[in-house]
Amino acid sequence: MAVTRINIGPVHPSTHGVLRLVADIDGDTVVDVQPHIGFLHRGVEKLVETRMFMQNPPYMEKLDYVSPMSYDEVYVAAVEAAMGVEVKERAQYIRVILLELQRIASHLLWIGTMCNDIGQMFTAFMWGFQDRDMVLNLLEEAAGGRMFYVNMRIGGMVRDLPPDFADHALGLMDYMEKRVKEYERYLERNPVFMERMKGVGVLSYDDAKNLGVTGPVLRASGVNFDARKNKAYYVYQKLHFSTQVQMAGDNLARYKVRMMEIRESIRLVREAIKALPDGDALGMPVKLILPAAKNRISIVSRELPRGECIMYLVADAQKPYRLSIRSPSFINLAALNFLAKGQRTADMFGIMGTLDLVMGCVDK
Amino acid sequence: MTNNLQIPFGMGLNVTSYINSPNPVYSVGGIIAFAIIVAIIISIFGYIFGWLERKMIAKVQHRHGPTYVGKFGILQNFADLVKLLAKEDIIPDSAERTLYIIGLPLLVSVSIFLVLLLPFAPSLQATNFAFGILIIFVILSFTPILLFITAFSTSNKFADISAQRSVLILLSYELPMILAVAAVGIAAHGYNIASIISAQSNGIFAIFMPLGLAVLFITMLAELERPPFDLREADSELIAGWLTDMSAPYYALSLFLDYSRMLLGSLLITILFFGGWEGPLLPPIVWLLAKASVISIFIIIIRATTVRMRIDSILKFGWKWLLPLSLINLVIAYIIFA
Repeated sequence: MAVTRINIGPVHPSTHGVLRLVADIDGDTVVDVQPHIGFLHRGVEKLVETRMFMQNPPYMEKLDYVSPMSYDEVYVAAVEAAMGVEVKERAQYIRVILLELQRIASHLLWIGTMCNDIGQMFTAFMWGFQDRDMVLNLLEEAAGGRMFYVNMRIGGMVRDLPPDFADHALGLMDYMEKRVKEYERYLERNPVFMERMKGVGVLSYDDAKNLGVTGPVLRASGVNFDARKNKAYYVYQKLHFSTQVQMAGDNLARYKVRMMEIRESIRLVREAIKALPDGDALGMPVKLILPAAKNRISIVSRELPRGECIMYLVADAQKPYRLSIRSPSFINLAALNFLAKGQRTADMFGIMGTLDLVMGCVDK
Repeated sequence: MTNNLQIPFGMGLNVTSYINSPNPVYSVGGIIAFAIIVAIIISIFGYIFGWLERKMIAKVQHRHGPTYVGKFGILQNFADLVKLLAKEDIIPDSAERTLYIIGLPLLVSVSIFLVLLLPFAPSLQATNFAFGILIIFVILSFTPILLFITAFSTSNKFADISAQRSVLILLSYELPMILAVAAVGIAAHGYNIASIISAQSNGIFAIFMPLGLAVLFITMLAELERPPFDLREADSELIAGWLTDMSAPYYALSLFLDYSRMLLGSLLITILFFGGWEGPLLPPIVWLLAKASVISIFIIIIRATTVRMRIDSILKFGWKWLLPLSLINLVIAYIIFA
C-alpha cells in the first residue's frame, strides 16, 4: 500500500495544545512521524534576562500550565543557589508538601487526557479533572491562586500555610487514596484498556538511556533515577518514599509508574505535614536589594511531574545574565518518533498520551 | 398474522390488514400510514435517546448534562438541531460533489428503509417475507460500503482512513453476526420475522442461547460502530473521521443516522433474542419498544465506560472469540431445537 502523509495538528483533539505532527502512514502502520514544535514559543529564556530576579516566577509558571508551582520552584531554587541563600526549614517542608500536591494534580490530569487519547468518552477525563480540582482547592488555600501561584520567594515562601491547612490536606489525602484505588479498579479491570496499554510502545532500558528520556517515562523502562532521591534536595532525604520503577517499558508501565507516584506523593504529603517544624517560613521581601551575585553560576535539578528539569542560571547582579532550561517534555517528545515507528496509528496517540507532553514546557 | 386484530396504542387501526387488502386504495393508504407511524417512532426514539445519551453519560461523569433548554434540558437537542441546520453548508472544492451531497441522505434512507422492513406489532407491519431477517442483514452489511463511498467523496485523508477502517472491521464481525442469526433461524425453523417472534412465546431465545445473544450484541455494536468499536469516528485520532470535511447540516444528518441505526440494532436484538412484542397486558408495540429501549441503554452505558479498541485487536477478537463462540452457539441451537 502506498504511504500516506497526514498532518496532525497543531489544532487536533489529542495533541494537547499546539503540537503538530507530520506522520507517514502505510495502511494503518506508522512509518515515520516528525513533530513540528514552536507554536507556543514565547522566548522565555530571553525574556527573563530583561527582568529582575523576582519578576520572573510568573513567566516560569506559564511554561508548564499543568504543574506551574513546580517550575516556579525550580527557578527560585536556581536563584537561591546563585545567591547562596539557604531555605528556611519550615519553608522546605511547605515546598515539599505543595510540590507533591502539584504532582498529584498533574498526574490526575494526565490520567484523564491519556484515556481520552486512547478513545474514552471523557469519563476518566472528567473524573481526573474533578479530583484535580480538589487538590487545586487546597493549593488555593495555601497560595491564593488556583492555576498560577507565585508563592515562592528567595529563601522561603510568600506566606505561611493557613492554620487549618493540615487537616484539609490530610482529609484530602484519605479521599485521594480511595480514588486512586477506584481509578485502578475502573481502568485495569477493563480488558480493552489493558489491550491498548500492554506491550504497546515498548522502550527498553538501553533505548531509554540513549534517548535521554526523563521522569516517569525513564522509570517505566527500568532505570532507577529520581532527582528527588538521586540529587536529594530540601528535606526529601529525611522523608520516606520509594522510587517507582517498572521493568516493562510499555504504555502500561508508564501508567503504573504514575499511579504509584500518586500514592508515594500522598505518603510524602502525610509525612511532611506530620514532621512540619514550627518557625518562620517567609522568604526575603521582593523589594529588598538582593546580595550582588555577579557572574555566579548555578545549576539546579528538580524532579517535576513530567521528569527532571534542569535550570542553568548565570546571575548578573540583579538580573539573570543567561537562563537555560532543560524541560522534561521537550526531551520526552524526542522519543515519540522512536516509539511510534512501526506501531498502529491509534497507538501513536496512546504513546503520545503516556509521554505526558505539555506544549508550554516543550516550546518554552 | 394478518387476522390478528390487536390494536396498537388504541388507534383503532389495523395497518397490516389495510396493507394486505385487495383494494389498491386501502393498500397504498395502509403503506403510507405505516410509513408515517414508523417515521414518528424513529424520530421520537432518536430524539429521546439523543437526549438520554447525553444525560446518562453526564451522570457517569459526575456532570449535569443539558439542563437549560426545556425541563431537564429535553429541548437541548432540538436547539442544537436548529443551530446545525441553520449553519452554512460548505462543500470543499476537492470533493466529489454529487456523492458528497447524496451520500449521507442515502445512508439515512437505507437505515429508515430497514426499519420499515421490521414489524412493530402484529397489526403494524408492512412486509412479511419468508426470509425477512436475512434480507435485513444483507442490506445492513452494505451500509459500510455506502459509508466508504460517502467518506471517499469528501477527499479528506482522515475521512479516507476512517472509511478504510470501517470496511476493514466488516471482516471481523459480519460472519459471527450471520452465524448468530442462523442459530436463531434453526431455533425458529425459519427466517420469517413473525414466526421467529411466535417461536419465542414459550421462552425467549436469550435463555436458550446466551452465547448467541452475546455474539449478536457485540457484533451489533461493531455494526453500529458504537464504542468500543467506534473506529469510524475516532475523535482523538481522526478528528471526526468520515465527517471531517462535512459541514453542520450533514453532521445533523449523521446524528439522525446514528440514532435510527441504534433503534434498528436494538429492534433486531429484541426480535431475535427477546421475543419481540411478546409480553402480557401491555400492547405489543409498547413491549417491543420497551425491550429495544433497554438494549439501547446498555449500548449507551458501554459508550460511557470503555476505551476504543484498535483495528487489529478487533480483527483478532472477531476471529479468535466471536467466530468460535457463534459456531458453538450454532451447535447448541441445533441440539436443543432441531
